[in-house]
Amino acid sequence: MSKLTPKILAEQARIHGLLVEIYPGNRIDLDANAEAVLWVNSQKELVSAIKTLRTETGLQMDRLSDITAYDNIDGNDGPKRFIMVYQLYSMRFNVRVRLKLGLAENESVPTLTSFWRAANWLEREVYDMFGVKFEDHPDLRRIQMDERFVGHPLRKEYDIKDRQPFPDSLPVRIATRAPAIGQE
Amino acid sequence: MSKDGSAGFIPTTLEYAVKWAQKNSLWPFTFGTSCCGIELMSTLSGTYDLARFGAEVVRFSPRQADMLIVAGTITTKMSPVLRQVYDQMLEPKWVVAMGACSSSGGIFDTYSVLQGIDEIMPVDIYVPGCPPIPEGLIHAILKLQDVVQSGSDRPKMHRLTRAEANDAMSFRKGTDESLFDDSKPLRGQ
Amino acid sequence: MIKDIRTSLLEERQNLSDFYNPQVMINMGPSHPSMHGTLRVMCRVNGEVVEDATCEIGYLHRGIEKLGEAKTYHQWIVYTDRLNYCSALTNNIAYVMAVEDLLKLEVTERCQWIRVICMELSRIIDHLICIAINALDMGALTCFWYLYHWREEAYTIIEAMCGMRLTTSYSRIGGMSYDLPDNFDSMMNKFLKGLPKSIDDVEKLLSANRIWVDRTKDVGILTKDECLDFGLTGPVARASGVDFDLRRDRPYYTYPELDFEVVCGVNGDVYDRYLVRMEEIRQSAHILAQCVKKLPKGPLWVDDRLVKIPAKADVYNNMETLIHHFKIFMEGVDVPPGESYNCVEAPNGELGFYIVSRGGPKSWRTRVKPPSLLLFQSFEYSMKGAKIPDAVSILGSLNIIAGELDR
Repeated sequence: MSKLTPKILAEQARIHGLLVEIYPGNRIDLDANAEAVLWVNSQKELVSAIKTLRTETGLQMDRLSDITAYDNIDGNDGPKRFIMVYQLYSMRFNVRVRLKLGLAENESVPTLTSFWRAANWLEREVYDMFGVKFEDHPDLRRIQMDERFVGHPLRKEYDIKDRQPFPDSLPVRIATRAPAIGQE
Repeated sequence: MSKDGSAGFIPTTLEYAVKWAQKNSLWPFTFGTSCCGIELMSTLSGTYDLARFGAEVVRFSPRQADMLIVAGTITTKMSPVLRQVYDQMLEPKWVVAMGACSSSGGIFDTYSVLQGIDEIMPVDIYVPGCPPIPEGLIHAILKLQDVVQSGSDRPKMHRLTRAEANDAMSFRKGTDESLFDDSKPLRGQ
Repeated sequence: MIKDIRTSLLEERQNLSDFYNPQVMINMGPSHPSMHGTLRVMCRVNGEVVEDATCEIGYLHRGIEKLGEAKTYHQWIVYTDRLNYCSALTNNIAYVMAVEDLLKLEVTERCQWIRVICMELSRIIDHLICIAINALDMGALTCFWYLYHWREEAYTIIEAMCGMRLTTSYSRIGGMSYDLPDNFDSMMNKFLKGLPKSIDDVEKLLSANRIWVDRTKDVGILTKDECLDFGLTGPVARASGVDFDLRRDRPYYTYPELDFEVVCGVNGDVYDRYLVRMEEIRQSAHILAQCVKKLPKGPLWVDDRLVKIPAKADVYNNMETLIHHFKIFMEGVDVPPGESYNCVEAPNGELGFYIVSRGGPKSWRTRVKPPSLLLFQSFEYSMKGAKIPDAVSILGSLNIIAGELDR
């Protein structure tokens, strides 16, 4: 943890304080690196938070680093099924802020393509892997898997070895699935 | 032809000469996908020169190559591409499965990786390693040269019966009936 | 019979506009004559100019992130090599840093210096291969042979360090798998003496070369704002003038003590990216020379019993150490719940590992933030209006590694 310089740690503390000021009602965590994690409660709040974080002079989160999600099927991080994670980076202060939003199974999220073009493929990947739909996305289709693939691989109920060959790639000899050591 | 049926002097020498020429001029089609592709490039570069063994001309056109080196992981999305490249190559052709991923899926036993290219094409030489060091690939090419010289038969692909295919994909039974439609022939038959 | 075919074909033609339509769909398929890996670009070409392009990825999607949930933290180190396979050491170290953040471990000084050495060495080899392939695509084959020789020399050093050339799996949680070999100083000095001369040779061949300059200057320009919009980092962004380097701006490990310069370009074209990478190789060599001098002696492993892998001699002779070793590898290291996001300056850009842990030996979600994904997305945009040979130059300069793109 102390691999970061004191200057960066001080900036992170300042940003954390500023976020607590701007969003007094929201849950703000600190992760293992003392980076701020801001939980937003709804899709509208997400868009307004992105706008504020981009323009606020003390924050200036101008680069989108990553959009991803994880499956909250055990309910550890709230009642909703998926947690969307947005990583923002401030090129001026060199500090990261993470935004998290809980999503139920069939809910959709507004797209961030209008803010950053980087969001385009990142959101397509979240759709491909989790099935989360993005409103107003210019091109929402599968990016990693084949178009005919059924299911979303990174969901917890998808078995890792569940291969889906298609008729034009149907193997002639299909390998049998050996059970892993210790697998129930 | 002599009394015991063995062929005379001239046909065997011609066959020997043809095979000698073929083995010493195997032109590779380097189907490099992932990490093994980098080691393949190392093998082709100056330190471990594959060109000394005749593989000088690296042709990126399947019509002009006779050895297909599949280096890297082949996913189910990529397998029709690989199969098409293999089909376009002209006989005689040989296939080298370089690395663990193309031999058997390697460390990736997941939902999108083909567990070995021998699921879709017959393979002559398997090169173990992840990735195999360039000396390993050169050893494999030399072994392939022995195979070419001796003219041994292409290993036969095991053609699945419909029952075996149903059995292997039993975890998918009942989901997509068209895959198990008996009126359509199995691919490859 | 031919007459019948001809008459039937003539009837099918509706109008001549299909022939006079100058737009052609070209598919630079997943199997293509450059060694960039499995990328697919479909373009609509008018004459020689690309009007529109779309890229398709996923031909090397191996499910590495899903495997992160199925394997223990140590077992997954092996998969990190296969992400950016041109600079495997960086991926190993970046991942292990994220896990150590979760465990609240601080590695020893010697370990930090060794990790910096590994990251800079892998930066050199990744830039070498990028320039070599870029030149190869444009026909400058000599540079490929020159630069590849130094890649082999670096491979010999890496093989002496950890036993494997390419897929190293060198780092472990809390330390490194092996200490540096005894003759490391002399090997590294020999390497650092010869490398700049070769880089100068290649620069003499390329930088003032009329053909190279014509093919790379003002090709594939990305402005500063576009870089920020696409979220690009690394040499491509620096060539466009974005003065950002994680090693200087958000330093980690021993980078604050090292003296190096961040190389920035002006135009953002392929020529600038090539120059930025060449200069970064020289800067990395300079960093390596400093590291070799400053490398301290001392313990390699962190002093935490639950994480430190015991020495092999003890494992073979001592029963308790054997059981301890067994427990660390079979049951896995118990990581407390939490999450951590660790970014390093990989040769391609900002490489991030985001790990969500719910306790236990396996992670709940491991996410790799790949720089290549954002770079390839900008390729779709750079292609518009470029000619097809220019598209090949641009692709080579972006350094797309398919393993990282698709995971």
